Amino acid sequence: MHIADGVLPLSVTLGGYLAAGLVAALKVRKVRQEELPKLAVVTSAFFVAGLIHIPLGPTSVHLLLPGLAGVLLGSSAFLGIGLGLVLQSLLLQFGGLTVVGANTIMMGLPALACGWIFHRFKKTGRWRQMLLGGLMGGLGVVLAALGLALLLVSGGEDFWGVAQIALLAHLPVIIIEGLITAMTVGFLARVKPELLLTPHHFRSESPHA
Amino acid sequence: MPDAVSSSLPLWQILLLIVFLLLALAAASQALRCLFRGQSSEEDRDWSVPPLEASKGRSFFHSWDVRCKIIALVGFSFLVVSLDHLSLAFGALTVSMVALIAARIPFSRALMRLTAVAAFVALLLVIMPVTVPVHPGDRLVVLTEKQWLVFNLRGLDLALTIGAKAMAVALLMEPLLGTAPLPITLHGLSRLGVPKLFGQMVLLSHRYLYVFQEEAGRMATGMRVRGFQRSSGLSNLRVFGSFLGMLFIRSFERTERVFSAMQARGYHGAFPEPETKTLSCIDVLLAVLWLLAGTCLVLADRLMQ
Repeated sequence: MHIADGVLPLSVTLGGYLAAGLVAALKVRKVRQEELPKLAVVTSAFFVAGLIHIPLGPTSVHLLLPGLAGVLLGSSAFLGIGLGLVLQSLLLQFGGLTVVGANTIMMGLPALACGWIFHRFKKTGRWRQMLLGGLMGGLGVVLAALGLALLLVSGGEDFWGVAQIALLAHLPVIIIEGLITAMTVGFLARVKPELLLTPHHFRSESPHA
Repeated sequence: MPDAVSSSLPLWQILLLIVFLLLALAAASQALRCLFRGQSSEEDRDWSVPPLEASKGRSFFHSWDVRCKIIALVGFSFLVVSLDHLSLAFGALTVSMVALIAARIPFSRALMRLTAVAAFVALLLVIMPVTVPVHPGDRLVVLTEKQWLVFNLRGLDLALTIGAKAMAVALLMEPLLGTAPLPITLHGLSRLGVPKLFGQMVLLSHRYLYVFQEEAGRMATGMRVRGFQRSSGLSNLRVFGSFLGMLFIRSFERTERVFSAMQARGYHGAFPEPETKTLSCIDVLLAVLWLLAGTCLVLADRLMQ
């Protein structure tokens, strides 16, 4: 779920840009400059993954993937997600141009948290990683939904109801996203475990250059 | 709610109204979808080529200096989203429509943007009249005598205002992005002080997005050919998980190859810069006028309170 233009007060949209810019500047320092093009290319894969619709009963949901981004990109996840949201806004009008900053904070911080927890506790073992990955997939959506509700509430008490309904609407997404992330992480642990090995894929010397 | 002005409507009328509204929305979205399907299937195009290219039209948007264009349109967008009154939000929407027509670009992409916004706005239109707290002086529509469902017209007004603002900004995106090639627009952005790296990364991921989209499409075709059917069982989620995993493995591997290729061609952290035009007086004047229009809207908005 992305916030459209015109919902948030101007102070929140500008503050969102400021905060997102600050975090991004901090994170860019941690990544080697020449690794950034790689991050850009991987981001486009996340963009495409976010367009896939998973059937859910009579309707379908599309994936948000903050958890998986954190798991795969580590501390670069914030940059990747910000870039992805800019593209979604420019190309598809998912989330307005004026709220890209706030949306990036809402999705990027959960991704950072999920990535940190995953790489802190993953150890080895496929089942353990799969379970943890699934939990992170769910947690990412929970945190993002809470962020969305918080941002909406910043618009005043008129938005309380909308925020509550937005939270409720995320419940099925949490389950689906958790399951899918678990399956994806399980698949990667079996097929290409080195993608899960390096938490800072874009910082270290690339293992398979 | 002693001070609130209320009027009552029978429940069946309201239900009928909601049903009609939903039907109209569904029909409209279906019609639009058909329209797009028809258009995209006509030209059997190569999806690995990015579509966000400049249309070849000639309008003042096409010849406007890109830096002035960015400042004027983005600044105007920020002014628009700070509006509070419905009438002025519609005023901004009118300005955007005039801009869209003046830019003489194909209408279909603007329509796509509107449908993307419409889903969000429709949600607000349904939720907000019911959930907005009642203030003194609000106009209420009470259904039946029991008052278990109250429509607050202030909520409707709020949702409509948001919708108009969102659409006004969405419509400006096409004159902003569709009238110059993306590299030129991003170069203009970097000349305005945004780090060059940002523009480079947007360009790169914009280019590879279509490559991966095609790759995902090929993988989906392979799945269909092998008898995969979409449904929401647990085993199906496993297939989706593997699908995503494979997409990421391929993308990470391709990333390495792309980067090696870039280095082999002498990449040093910078792309060659497009040629730039010199800034003319008219460019600046137009930008100032545009921002003045936005400021007038905001001033009028504040005075109305």
